[in-house]
Amino acid sequence: MSEVRISAEPRTDFGKGGARRTRRAGKVPAVVYGHGEKPRHISLPGLEFAAAIRKGGANQLISIEVTDGTRELVIPKDIQRDPLRDDIVHADLLIVRKGETVTADIPINFVGEAEKGGLVVHELTSLNVETEATHIPESIEVSIEGLAIGSQRYVREIEAPEGIVILTDGDQVLASVSEPRGEETDEEGAEDEAAAE
Amino acid sequence: MLMPRKPPRGYRKPHAPKRKGKATRGTKVSFGEYGIQALEHSYVTNRQIESARIAMTRHIKRGGKVWITIFPDRAITKKPAETRQGSGKGSPEYWVANVKPGRVMFELSFPNEATAHEALQRAIHKLPMKCRIVHREGAGE
Repeated sequence: MSEVRISAEPRTDFGKGGARRTRRAGKVPAVVYGHGEKPRHISLPGLEFAAAIRKGGANQLISIEVTDGTRELVIPKDIQRDPLRDDIVHADLLIVRKGETVTADIPINFVGEAEKGGLVVHELTSLNVETEATHIPESIEVSIEGLAIGSQRYVREIEAPEGIVILTDGDQVLASVSEPRGEETDEEGAEDEAAAE
Repeated sequence: MLMPRKPPRGYRKPHAPKRKGKATRGTKVSFGEYGIQALEHSYVTNRQIESARIAMTRHIKRGGKVWITIFPDRAITKKPAETRQGSGKGSPEYWVANVKPGRVMFELSFPNEATAHEALQRAIHKLPMKCRIVHREGAGE
């Protein structure tokens, strides 16, 4: 994954009011930390940062150039979004060095088609992996081609790409194929499903 | 219909739940491919939840799965008609889920996107607030 260069400004206006003023100016308040350094508060250009995340995913490698002359290589550790407008309201950025390993959540890309007539339920949507900071893959492909009704695909069945260690428990189910339920049985089972809350 | 087995939080007749703020949890589609997200505050009664679920499951017929991610755990009380004021709080009448903007209430997994959208649209018609259909992150928009 190639790195994106974004210029940032140091932030001196803190708290709820300060963060809101930063957002009104079209910027995203963020914090940079890692490698035992003191956390630094910065503001990122909203549109550029959102475009980088949209294009490169939540693990996009970013080179931050702060106007005080410092430069850091970071990956997003956490991105908070407004649930209604989907704007980025805050970002935690983790300092990384070339060659070091980090843990990251990589989205799963399911490919292929399961047995005809089966309903595929994706139990997991991302995998926790350990990988080199500068080579975080955008997604991991998992084939569900020909998966029979009533069977599951487990995390342990995935062949991890080179340089990646999967940390997610191998006994977890990635995807399962179930027999579609009829309308009548669905109504009976509604109470059980509601327990998903 | 959904309702608690016993009164939650130890109170049979709670104060009216607050209709303020945005949802902070349950704002993303976690189980299925598509979901219904609330855009306004509202109390959603257990009857409305059941009605929306039936509208959805009848449209998709077979081959899909529905998740309900809200639960009506707040009792709403009501005094009987033509009763004088006083004599204490009324008796529990029905159960509601206190839904805040941003909350994903229903989720659906179905192979055909057009049918899934139509099913969710039918469910939205049964709900008391403005809603929109959302997709799971990473799923095709």
